Amino acid sequence: MEVALITDRKELRAVLREKFPRNHGQLLPALHFLQHEFGHLPDWAMEVVGWHLGIPASEVYGAATSYTELRIKKPGEHVVRVCTGLGCWMNGGKDLLSGLAHDLQAKPGETTSDGRITLEETLCGFLCGLAPAVEVDGKWQGRATAAAVHASVNGAAKP
Amino acid sequence: MTTTASPIKFLSQIAAEAAARRKELLGGKTRHIVQVAHCSLAVGADKVVAAVRQAVGENEVIIVAGCDGTCFQAPKTVTIAPDGRREVKGHGVESDFFALQKRIAMDGCGEIDATDVDDYLAHGGYAGLAKALSMSPEAVIEEVKASGLRGRGGAYFPAAMKWEGARKVRNSPKYLVVNAEEGEPGIFKDRHLMEGVPHRIIEGMAIAAYATGINEAYVYINAEANLSAHRMEKAIARAKAAGLLCEKILGSDFTLNVTIMRGAGGYVCGEETTLLNTMEGYRREPRLRPPFPTTAGLWAKPTVINNCETLANVPFIMAKGAKAYAAIGAWPSDSKTPPNQRASGTKIVSLSGSVHRPGVVELPMGTTLRQIIEAVGNGPMAGHALTGVAVGGPSSGVFPTSMLDTQIAPGLLHESGVMLGAGGVIALDERTPALDVVRRLAAYNAAESCGKCTPCREGTPRMVDALDRILSGKGAQSDIEELRYLADVVGAASLCGLGQAAGSPITSALRFFGDEIAMRVASGAR
Repeated sequence: MEVALITDRKELRAVLREKFPRNHGQLLPALHFLQHEFGHLPDWAMEVVGWHLGIPASEVYGAATSYTELRIKKPGEHVVRVCTGLGCWMNGGKDLLSGLAHDLQAKPGETTSDGRITLEETLCGFLCGLAPAVEVDGKWQGRATAAAVHASVNGAAKP
Repeated sequence: MTTTASPIKFLSQIAAEAAARRKELLGGKTRHIVQVAHCSLAVGADKVVAAVRQAVGENEVIIVAGCDGTCFQAPKTVTIAPDGRREVKGHGVESDFFALQKRIAMDGCGEIDATDVDDYLAHGGYAGLAKALSMSPEAVIEEVKASGLRGRGGAYFPAAMKWEGARKVRNSPKYLVVNAEEGEPGIFKDRHLMEGVPHRIIEGMAIAAYATGINEAYVYINAEANLSAHRMEKAIARAKAAGLLCEKILGSDFTLNVTIMRGAGGYVCGEETTLLNTMEGYRREPRLRPPFPTTAGLWAKPTVINNCETLANVPFIMAKGAKAYAAIGAWPSDSKTPPNQRASGTKIVSLSGSVHRPGVVELPMGTTLRQIIEAVGNGPMAGHALTGVAVGGPSSGVFPTSMLDTQIAPGLLHESGVMLGAGGVIALDERTPALDVVRRLAAYNAAESCGKCTPCREGTPRMVDALDRILSGKGAQSDIEELRYLADVVGAASLCGLGQAAGSPITSALRFFGDEIAMRVASGAR
């Protein structure tokens, strides 16, 4: 995961001022920016966004939590998302998910105890033609295997 | 029109220039067309590009295209020799995957350089826009009306009526929003269009905007569809540079500015009023209607929201005429049905599940599910038997094999709530019993319910609970009654279209798999 460049409120305010005009419609783009910058949405950063756009922090939080792609909780170092859409579920996704959960000792939605890997279930990766699909750290793999997932998490060359 | 050259003349001039450039670039050379799309990238298309680029000789060129829909073949490279010989390299064989298809929206997808204006122009691109700009906006609306084009996002509302409605509202500015949110599991057609033929969407968008009197358009793209957003951005920039967007489009007085917006996930975001809330920075919740977006949409201004695929059909209608479009897939073809009630054109179907050839296919309306699964998809998988088909995603339902001869048509395919929707077809075999699939669809609806209105928020989890009791053998007759009742209430009283359809998986299950449900209840009650 990239190291966050922005460390305090003042700095973030300056960046937001530069990047986002102050209107309500900029909320989602600003939240996307935070997620890109921090890997998730830290509470303090959401507050700053609200301050910048003139939106109450509670409303920022309310909006942020309503979108499935935005993360409130800090994920592990690596994020593994297994597609469990119908196409993947029937073509190996089910076994892949349970296999990975067993290997990692983490249920879907959980992070391994060492904080290294977050395992998630995603409702569709839109790779139904290449089932089963897995996303590892933002990169999708089609016709995935547990071995390939482990390899890319561990940084080894994919088979 | 105050300008000197007509749009058609303007187009023929830039098309001639484009053709000359292309001749210089491609003349007598072998073309390696690498299909790079969301699907193929997941199986190493980037590496294929790198390898081809390294190996490319003097008389060869590499072209990066989108995916032609043969996801099962990804990563795929098509090599075309100067004499026209075609060689395909990929995973598996094409066979007769294309035999039944009719490509209107997807024409050129996977063949042309995705974002290149010249390649699209050589493919007859922007002819529809030139034609439209040389007509009056009212005449454009009439032409589209005559074609019978309906919205391809799932609701199948006549496109021209939407445009006409917005055109008549006296308020400005007006906005056009291209709905490419596509967050429905099992559906991946808009991605293919944006990745393969982004210029066709731009062209369709410009025609729609011209007809409605709009100068400001937004393309709303799913949060995860990064490649789609990238290609759209690039295509927009290139179209601008070629005088096909922004000011004085094709030399006319028409102006259209386009901005790309990204979503942030969630099924309900594709619902048009939710999409507007998202764009304005609010929670992903639908709005009460009326007012309809055509009266008061984005920032309370008249807004036309069209699905990506709908707009991709428009250039053909303008270039080839409404009659040519209406003749495709005109169904039912009997003389009793008035022409304006027939389903015209094609539908892009996202095919997956138990088939050997999953992918994106464009078929005339009226094609049967059996043809889609067996002839196009070569299903079911070897060694398995078909048990049903899930059509149209979580807002629709599941058909048993006895319904395979149903023809695809706009809207409802069966009174129990099974509908074509955005065109997902998932073939099921015995590994995934139909009731389990229904349970997954119901659970999906419960998880994705935004929570704004009570019937959907409270009703959808209770339907899952009742279904769970039945499936685990602890069900009673009262659970069946409860399912029926809840599906009814959720359908009747929910705020948005997705809530109203959230009971459809259940109603279709009660209708088609009622015996199995009754059996499970009886065996549990022993």
